[in-house]
Amino acid sequence: MFEVEKLLSGYDGKIVAKLPRLELAKGEHCLLLGASGSGKTTLLCTLAGYLTPIDGAVRMNGNEISGLRGSRADRFRSLHMGFVFQTLHMVNALSVLDNLLLVRYSAGLPQERERAEALLEMLGLADKRHEKPLALSQGQQQRVAIARAVINCPEIILGDEPTSALDDRSCEKVMGLLLDVTASVGASLIVATHDNRITGYFSRQIVLGDDQ
Amino acid sequence: MNILSLTLAYLRARALNTALTVVTFATGVTLIVVVLLINEQLQNQFSRNLKGIDLVVGSKGSPLQLIMSSVFHLDIPSGTIPFKEIDKLRANPLVGKVIPLALGDNFQGFRIVGTTQGYAGLYQARLRGAGRFWTKGMEVVLGAEMASQTGLKTGDVFSGSHGLSRGGSVHAEIPYRVVGILEPSGTVLDRLALTAFESVWQIHGHDAGHVENSKNQLQGGRKHDTDHSNGGEDHAENENRVITSLLISYSSPVAAVILPNEINNSTSLLAASPSYEVARLNRFMGAGTDIMQSIAWFLVALAGVSIFAGLYSAMDERRYDLALMRSFGAAPLKLVLLLVVESLFIAFFGLAGGVVVGHGLVEVIGTTVSMARNLHVSGLVMFAGEAWLVVASLVIGGLAAMIPAIRVYRIDIYRTLVQR
Repeated sequence: MFEVEKLLSGYDGKIVAKLPRLELAKGEHCLLLGASGSGKTTLLCTLAGYLTPIDGAVRMNGNEISGLRGSRADRFRSLHMGFVFQTLHMVNALSVLDNLLLVRYSAGLPQERERAEALLEMLGLADKRHEKPLALSQGQQQRVAIARAVINCPEIILGDEPTSALDDRSCEKVMGLLLDVTASVGASLIVATHDNRITGYFSRQIVLGDDQ
Repeated sequence: MNILSLTLAYLRARALNTALTVVTFATGVTLIVVVLLINEQLQNQFSRNLKGIDLVVGSKGSPLQLIMSSVFHLDIPSGTIPFKEIDKLRANPLVGKVIPLALGDNFQGFRIVGTTQGYAGLYQARLRGAGRFWTKGMEVVLGAEMASQTGLKTGDVFSGSHGLSRGGSVHAEIPYRVVGILEPSGTVLDRLALTAFESVWQIHGHDAGHVENSKNQLQGGRKHDTDHSNGGEDHAENENRVITSLLISYSSPVAAVILPNEINNSTSLLAASPSYEVARLNRFMGAGTDIMQSIAWFLVALAGVSIFAGLYSAMDERRYDLALMRSFGAAPLKLVLLLVVESLFIAFFGLAGGVVVGHGLVEVIGTTVSMARNLHVSGLVMFAGEAWLVVASLVIGGLAAMIPAIRVYRIDIYRTLVQR
């Protein structure tokens, strides 16, 4: 389903990270582990199509993502991938519920309000749905970001350091929820982190910066 | 969620900025509306008052003063002319109608004009209810505004004061009687009292004995003696009688070319064309109006720039949101539309506010200035020029969104959301 081949990732012509090979079947998860500066965020952004690979290819269901540019890449990503940014980027002018609907609206998909509410329920945010994100704790905002990544029922969810800012309890809870909602839509999960607390959740792990 | 709810959410989220931009825009629109409304109405009123008057004949002096005193009743006349001139002009085949005006007195600042019924006919003024026109001297018909301002009613009696403005000596010994009140005509008649021109002579002692039906006199040249008759001296009296001016209509278009020169060159009278003098006045006043209008448009443009600045800074704060929406798959055009709609919203509210405040302001100016300066200006009318204001405002609003909109296409999601 998801396939990476001889990927050289970076920007401004500078190679920051390499990923010689990765194949994920549907529903299969993977952890990209690396210290700060190992290029894991750059690599994750290349997988999501935010960055064009310097060399190599990223394919999904036979489509070459790395060949898409600009709004076509945005369009493909919105329909097939979910992304959780390290900086959560809440839209503070909108309520929690509208932050979710904004994803559907942006992608030009019908806004299924009930589904969005059910998702917030599942993430324990039902009573916060009319609050502005600024009124939420960091852990709650993290859950809103997860809900936004999953609301379009993507086939793959990419998370950039989803737990590194959280305490142990929240970390455990967020990881549990992330896996639950990923499973609920049958998606694969790729998490890039330096957080060793979550290595136990993944059977497949790639350590960046090493010669794998 | 749709483009409107999203726009409103963002406008609400920065309510203060939004309000300031709307106020700036509304200020510019208000100024334009005020200049436009007052200008249009004065022009309309000028042309209404000019209707049917091709030429004004009076004593030598300033042509503009003659027009301002005899057509608009704003200035004082420069002198008088012998009444017998009317017969000479009548004899001229180029002359159509002739209406004499004799000024001299006022009541509470409203001029009492000695004339013929033809003067009311000139503006198609109709009598209210059971009123009638004068049939003898010292009977007056009041203009609508004068009646409402002074509270005088049909049957009332009042004494005129000497002069054309308040405060002259009162002619208490010979009072006027109100016999009719005119419907409002939107012309100078509204604030005048009309009477037989002989009344003015009677009061000023020129012709105490000959007060009669002006219509009869003008049509037939006959004279009916009244109570105070001293009949036999008609001719001698005629020589001494004076009036202020004559309003003339041409009998043929050719008259416009010949008659003014003929009068100005071969008589001791002054002939002035109202339309020419008003056009000349407009050339002077027009410059002032143009400057006001330019300042107003400058303010609207400034407001456009401030919409732009407001949107630009909002866009700067919002580049994360816009990048985020791009990452969620929003096409750049969708985001551009969002910005344009937001800008149009501000322009629309500014426009609506400006139009409402502008009309209100003109209405306030109209009620106060109308008392002081005898000009009718209302805020409760619309003009075609305002349609252009709507178009211009929305175009400015749309343009203000353009530069921020161009930035939407240049957003680099990775640099904005990941690298920061």
